[in-house]
Amino acid sequence: MTEAEESAPWRRVHPVSPMVRGWLVVVAFLYFFGQNSLNNIFSAGELPPEADKDWSFTPSVLLVVAGGIGILVLIMAGFFLSWYFTKYQVTARHVHVNSGVVFRQQRQARIDRVQAIDIVQPLVARIFGLAELKFEVADSGSTAMRLAYIKLDAAKVLRNDILARAAGLKQEREAGPAGVVPAPGVPGAEGPAARSAEPASAGPAPAPGPAGGEPVSPEAPERTVAVVPPPRLIAATLLSPWLAAVLLFVLSMIVATVASDGEISFFFVLPGLIGVVPVLWGQFNQGYNFRAAMSEDGLRLSYGLLETSHQTVPPGRVQAVMVTQGIIWRRFGWYKVVVNVAGYGNQEGALRSTLLPVGTRQDVLNVLSIVLPEPGTERPAELVGAGIGGSGSAEGFITSPRSARWLSPFAYRRQGFAVTDTALFSRAGVLTHSLVIIPHERIQGIFLTQGPLNRPLGLTGIEFCTTDGPISPRVKQMSLRTGRELFMSQASRAARARRLKDRDHWLEEENHE
Amino acid sequence: MPQEPIDPQGLVFQRVSPAYAKVRLVGWAISALVTWAVLAVPLVLMLTGVWSGYPAWLAWGLLGVVVVFDVVRMAIIPRQVRAIGYAERDDDLLIRSGLMFQQVLVVPYGRMQYVDVAVGPIDRALGLCKVQLHTASTTAKAEIPGLPSSEGTRLRERLSARGEARLAGL
Repeated sequence: MTEAEESAPWRRVHPVSPMVRGWLVVVAFLYFFGQNSLNNIFSAGELPPEADKDWSFTPSVLLVVAGGIGILVLIMAGFFLSWYFTKYQVTARHVHVNSGVVFRQQRQARIDRVQAIDIVQPLVARIFGLAELKFEVADSGSTAMRLAYIKLDAAKVLRNDILARAAGLKQEREAGPAGVVPAPGVPGAEGPAARSAEPASAGPAPAPGPAGGEPVSPEAPERTVAVVPPPRLIAATLLSPWLAAVLLFVLSMIVATVASDGEISFFFVLPGLIGVVPVLWGQFNQGYNFRAAMSEDGLRLSYGLLETSHQTVPPGRVQAVMVTQGIIWRRFGWYKVVVNVAGYGNQEGALRSTLLPVGTRQDVLNVLSIVLPEPGTERPAELVGAGIGGSGSAEGFITSPRSARWLSPFAYRRQGFAVTDTALFSRAGVLTHSLVIIPHERIQGIFLTQGPLNRPLGLTGIEFCTTDGPISPRVKQMSLRTGRELFMSQASRAARARRLKDRDHWLEEENHE
Repeated sequence: MPQEPIDPQGLVFQRVSPAYAKVRLVGWAISALVTWAVLAVPLVLMLTGVWSGYPAWLAWGLLGVVVVFDVVRMAIIPRQVRAIGYAERDDDLLIRSGLMFQQVLVVPYGRMQYVDVAVGPIDRALGLCKVQLHTASTTAKAEIPGLPSSEGTRLRERLSARGEARLAGL
């Protein structure tokens, strides 16, 4: 532990936080308790005196109210204790969070291993001006660290601070004694010119740091690369294939109703259809106001109508990218882009791993140019174009051999791959086009496989292992020779790219190997 | 070791201990016995007359099919074990396995996060162990079962050293 590690102050989250998290419990309690006791009081009052005698126990109004208040006090005390025992500390290298009343929990995460930082504001938190800071690390298997809830400004400051430290700006060295806040643009700061030269007025005014005189990192200026206008979001949501399937089902039910003279009634499925509404609403609510922006800290995503999220994915943290286009969206030229980011995982990550819920081809190229700054080819737009919509060998794609037509009669001319200096592009799908891009240095492992169907046709497939996420990159049904060559060359590319590319402090000069 | 079509050429795979087949056989025996016992319940009920309505062809047939399937499975265990191989190269480790569904996995040393050596009760009796490589990907979890203990320890040390030399973040 360095000196800076020890001297960093411990802080508590905002006192309102347990309420923000537990408000539903309190409201539910008040509602049911209030309703019950009111009913009791009224019914007790209305009961004729004779009936009263049958009751062994008549709740007296005072007792009920006292009990209610008692329980409420207990809940509040629980909230207070959980708040009191939750502390966090941000040092030069680690974020520590201690929590738990009876079972204490201490967690620490290495800042230079940060994979992504999210600032999430549920509706209630927004009312109080609070936010939750989620800090994804891929370090010894621990998942997200959460700081819930702190003031929005403080959350932003903390995020910028963590990102700056992760980027290796070494601000703590210039920070000097506690209390001195260095100007972000001091000449001679070790950050790259772009960052140091940033005028303080570019971002929102540098917010006053959290008490304690820590160095304040300016928010890196951002450049918007893609926005999703609400009308397009609504249209895209309504034009999704599964909604089309639902509509088709409803239509067939109506036909069935008419044809069977009402014996099979359309109204039987009505309750099920109501279930569609929350899903649609959820997609709209989450994807509303979607904006992707580029900054020095990496890719920034912000979205949400009631609950808003601001995600930051530092450069080089994207493990794989996938561009998809369903058959309905093709008419409108819309695409969806998702990514694998370590820690985002697959469950709640549905939208967290979405880089672009629905966008035009230009949006796609803009977003890709950020997550894949070096495509390793001179014609990235053409390559991506061929990858999304093309077939055959245009732009250097190698597709399945003719013998694969027995297994993929429609897709064999389309499914294939192309390799650039920095990444592998794998395309597939006839109805739903998909293009998966995986940078060589992000490959964790490669499977070369051959099953009983592939063997007689002389085919083989390759699966690339990345961190958990919505994408599992693969190339299906290559000729044996192509597959074996790709397997070997990709293995050596992965190992080589790794030696050149590895760095956690992405703004630092590369100083090893 | 037989050279399968998907095996990378010019590479010699190390085989795991043939004794590992015994470990697999014990595992097979336990799962087969449990399945047979469960499937035999309707047969016994039918024969003892408790459930005489149960069709005889189904009772015998179901058990028969499963027994045949399991016996075939048992018969190929030694061959499956022979198909497991691994090869250390300068930058990565290759592991191959499978007869019907063949696969070769390559994991660059730089991606390894940690290496485990696991020893089960039957492994221990036979002096075997299993080396597991963990990467940031749950799918690229490489396992080499059936290694003699000394080889397992050597491999772990070797992999750790190589991983250390080439290790970096995700």
